[in-house]
Amino acid sequence: MDDLLSEFLTETSESLSELDVQLVRLEQNPNDLDLLANIFRIVHTIKGTCGFLGLPRLEAVAHASENVLGKIREGEMEVSPRAVSLILMSLDRIKALMAALEQTEQEPEGDDSDLIKQLNALADGHLDESTVETGISGGLNASAVDENRAASFDEPLIPNDDEISKADADTRTVPQVAEIEPEASNAVPVPTSPDKGMQAKAPAQQTNGRQVANDEEPKVRESTVASQTIRVHVDLLENLMTMVSELVLTRNQLLQILRSHKDSEFATPLQRLNHVTSELQEGVMKTRMQPIGNAWAKLPRMVRDLALECGKKIDLQMFGAETELDRQVLDMIKDPLTHMVRNSADHGLESPQDRLAAGKSEIGRITLNAYHEGGHIIIEIADDGRGLDIERIKTKIVTNGLATESELGAMNDSQIQQFIFKPGFSTAQKVTAVSGRGVGMDVVRTNIEKIGGNIELKSTRGRGSTFMIKIPLTLAIVNALIVEAGAERFAIPQISVDELVRASAHSEHKIERINNAPVLRLRNRLLPLVTLKKLLKLDDGEELAENNDLFIVVTQVGTYMFGIIVDRVFDTEEIVVKPTAPILRHINMFSGNTILGDGSVIMILDPNGIAAATGELSIAESHLTDATKHKQRRDDLSSLLVFKAGGKAPKAVPLALVARLEEIDLAAIEYSNNKPVVQYRDQLMPLVSIDGTAEFGNEGRTPVLVFADRERSMGLVVDEIVDIVEEKMNVQLSAERPGLLGSAIISGKATEVIDAGFFLTQAFADWFDGPAEETQTSHQTARVLLVDDSPFFRNLLTPLLTVAGYDVTTIESGRDALQLCEDGEDFDVIISDIEMPGMNGFEFAQEIRTATRWKDTPLVALSGYTSQKDLERGREAGFSDYVAKFDREGLLQTLAQTLAEHRGAA
Amino acid sequence: MSDARSLTVGTLSSDLIENENNEYVTFTIGGQLFGIPVLQVQDVLGPQNITRIPLAPPEVAGSLNLRGRIVTAIDVRIRLGLCDREDGDEGMSVVVEYGGELYSLIIDQVDEVKSLSDTSFERNPPTLDPRWRAYADGIYRLTDQLMVVLNVSRLLDFSDRIG
Repeated sequence: MDDLLSEFLTETSESLSELDVQLVRLEQNPNDLDLLANIFRIVHTIKGTCGFLGLPRLEAVAHASENVLGKIREGEMEVSPRAVSLILMSLDRIKALMAALEQTEQEPEGDDSDLIKQLNALADGHLDESTVETGISGGLNASAVDENRAASFDEPLIPNDDEISKADADTRTVPQVAEIEPEASNAVPVPTSPDKGMQAKAPAQQTNGRQVANDEEPKVRESTVASQTIRVHVDLLENLMTMVSELVLTRNQLLQILRSHKDSEFATPLQRLNHVTSELQEGVMKTRMQPIGNAWAKLPRMVRDLALECGKKIDLQMFGAETELDRQVLDMIKDPLTHMVRNSADHGLESPQDRLAAGKSEIGRITLNAYHEGGHIIIEIADDGRGLDIERIKTKIVTNGLATESELGAMNDSQIQQFIFKPGFSTAQKVTAVSGRGVGMDVVRTNIEKIGGNIELKSTRGRGSTFMIKIPLTLAIVNALIVEAGAERFAIPQISVDELVRASAHSEHKIERINNAPVLRLRNRLLPLVTLKKLLKLDDGEELAENNDLFIVVTQVGTYMFGIIVDRVFDTEEIVVKPTAPILRHINMFSGNTILGDGSVIMILDPNGIAAATGELSIAESHLTDATKHKQRRDDLSSLLVFKAGGKAPKAVPLALVARLEEIDLAAIEYSNNKPVVQYRDQLMPLVSIDGTAEFGNEGRTPVLVFADRERSMGLVVDEIVDIVEEKMNVQLSAERPGLLGSAIISGKATEVIDAGFFLTQAFADWFDGPAEETQTSHQTARVLLVDDSPFFRNLLTPLLTVAGYDVTTIESGRDALQLCEDGEDFDVIISDIEMPGMNGFEFAQEIRTATRWKDTPLVALSGYTSQKDLERGREAGFSDYVAKFDREGLLQTLAQTLAEHRGAA
Repeated sequence: MSDARSLTVGTLSSDLIENENNEYVTFTIGGQLFGIPVLQVQDVLGPQNITRIPLAPPEVAGSLNLRGRIVTAIDVRIRLGLCDREDGDEGMSVVVEYGGELYSLIIDQVDEVKSLSDTSFERNPPTLDPRWRAYADGIYRLTDQLMVVLNVSRLLDFSDRIG
């Protein structure tokens, strides 16, 4: 069954039984306002939930009863037995509907207008008390209603006519019985005040009667969901947990004693105790753990409604819903999470029009991701919306007096972004019904910090925001490796241990030193090492004993891999992570502490904190920058496709340029306009050979490298594909021949790097402006930043520029380029494409020219359009020069010229 | 914790009971008598196995396991700026709760529970060491000595240190 529905059924059946009691009590004490308010609240909640779940029948009935209660509450109506019985009747109706709902997961067909009409009439005051009394006291009327109700039910609810008549019979008989012996069936407190007499009793008994009717079949089903779960206070579980921990410790001590007394008669019962204790421990632990998906269950619906309300298209993606965490923690983060998702949907994502205008997909995306990381649970909430507007935050900070302009001037963007966590801060310009009520991120942050967690934010304007919540797994069970350093024991979460290496002076693994910094050769990599003893200041100044065997715990934090030197390694043990005392929370070397099986307290090491302490970029560094850095690092190495064609020397081309590798049947080659073509994916693909000949054999098959850019593709016919290697492309000799960029050492062999661009022009004369000539540009080692969204052109121009002597960095968007600027990178010249999604070249240029460190760096535009108008617009935006996209010659010349001018000017 | 020796707190001497009496668990550190309101004291412990915590502030002696709860041990001597304990003198502990956490205050020797009258209470003399003044609520004049009332919240408020 749907989680929401089953939760609703459980909750509502609890509320209903409460209501039964309270309504009768209200009848006795009509002036008890608290009671009335409580009843009203319960009915109101039921109504609201029904509306939320889309249960119109239930909602209508609850709504009508709420109306009546509302009148009573406002003093417009007296609490009369008639009113109470009508409401009780509607409660019964609700119960019956719920029974059907539980069975079929759908509301039964039917009509409640009879009941609703009565309720409304009562609320409007049309129903006078006299009709009421005759109507209800006999119970006849009620049974008539009952008949209506029964008839309106679906088949499965009332399987046969016998049941109906039985139910009816019960309904009829019970009131009579009650009149004779009112105290007999007192499941519902029976009013005893004599002045109310039968009037009061009858309705009370009728409730019973109705219940009896329900008891037949539906009632039994109704209780199944409700009885599957019970509510237990978390404190109770917490106590249980503590007791179980105690029990486990005692058990361990007993087992320890047993080991020294062989053949003890206690052996068998102790084994049994052992098992039972383990199971008990496991069970109790489980009671507290819940998948985070529970906290997410309501989000899709909320996001959907929000999307409708705000006229946005939102795609909510959720990963890691099965990640388990402590129930109490879950409850604490539920609201912050909801709030943040709401924020993302309301403020973060733009309207479909704005998104299209920004070159993004119309559908905004919100991603929720939960996973374990080193004794913590990380929850990421990311959107690909507009990101935080730094300028607006600044204005807000200044107007709210949180900081002064000059203070802001000294801050970087990420520091400024942190202000959104300050109390009373909300950037939403208009307060919508959805969010922006001033209770904002500060509340979220407070809630998260309350449970010992923290929250980080990264946001890039135009690209979206990511919030990372890191919360400790308070009661989560972790497998940990117990190690020793400086006579103290520590636990390292197994999850962050990659491997263990034993190092000694004589073994193959030997700790070596570079200016006292220990390192280890591990599978052709140099692993930086940290000494735990030193890090924790436990070494008393003594030098590391070189001869002793040491153990190295190889750990990975993000992409940073390092080894922790420890003195000894013990066992692994399941531990329960407990947060450290507040006094110790500032030591980020520890993620918590725990009690081991032998009863001693032990600190749990946090590899993130250790990595941070060793100078490696702190965890606070964004994943985003990590990704860019990673990308740049990868850029140094390029994947090259090595092949043979026309000559002995192996040839290579950047693999990224090659769209596909195909093998074609030579017989399938056709000629069009004297050029060889082949039918490929319903298009004619021109074929080019490496030596320019248009003749191919007639038989056999030949490998073809397919180059593609947008709709067009061409095939380069080669003899043999040799390998794909990953190497730093360092073109050393500039080639004399057209079609070759030069030579490079690849896999230890001199390899000719081909100029894919040349062959493209062979296939499509208009692909570029005629064949390229090799130019000997003066070899400056100027740094060039190439901004182009098309990977094809990036890969095409990189070798060209490299060969011309430039140090090329490529990046795929203006946004990323600005990030590089913020990261402190510098370039001598920037080449930028104009047509780019997101931020186009003109915007990029303006951005650079207005406010960044790069405002004096020459900027060359690269575009398909080179009309006079374009040129002017480019200059206006701040470009120094404008080159046609395919004019490689022109590009090199322009670069040389621009740089010369700039250097001259500088 | 097998060796967590819970000591029975001594019965209060009845002759001290007066109208406005406050009960204190008293103990000595470096010969000075201190008191903590009896209701704040959860346990009195003998010497314990304490796990050292590297990088912790000096007054944090370590943590220990008290019936499945991790308790942070604070060396009150160091907190008060007194000289280090002599080797072999392991001291005793008074367990108190502060901010939902348990702390074990390591002191020299636990004395009895005293019931003291308001009339013998004095405010901190201004000549008291500023650190002591911060942690003490006041002084009781006993017949043969003076007792300093420790304020547990202030003693355990390390926020100044963590910043």
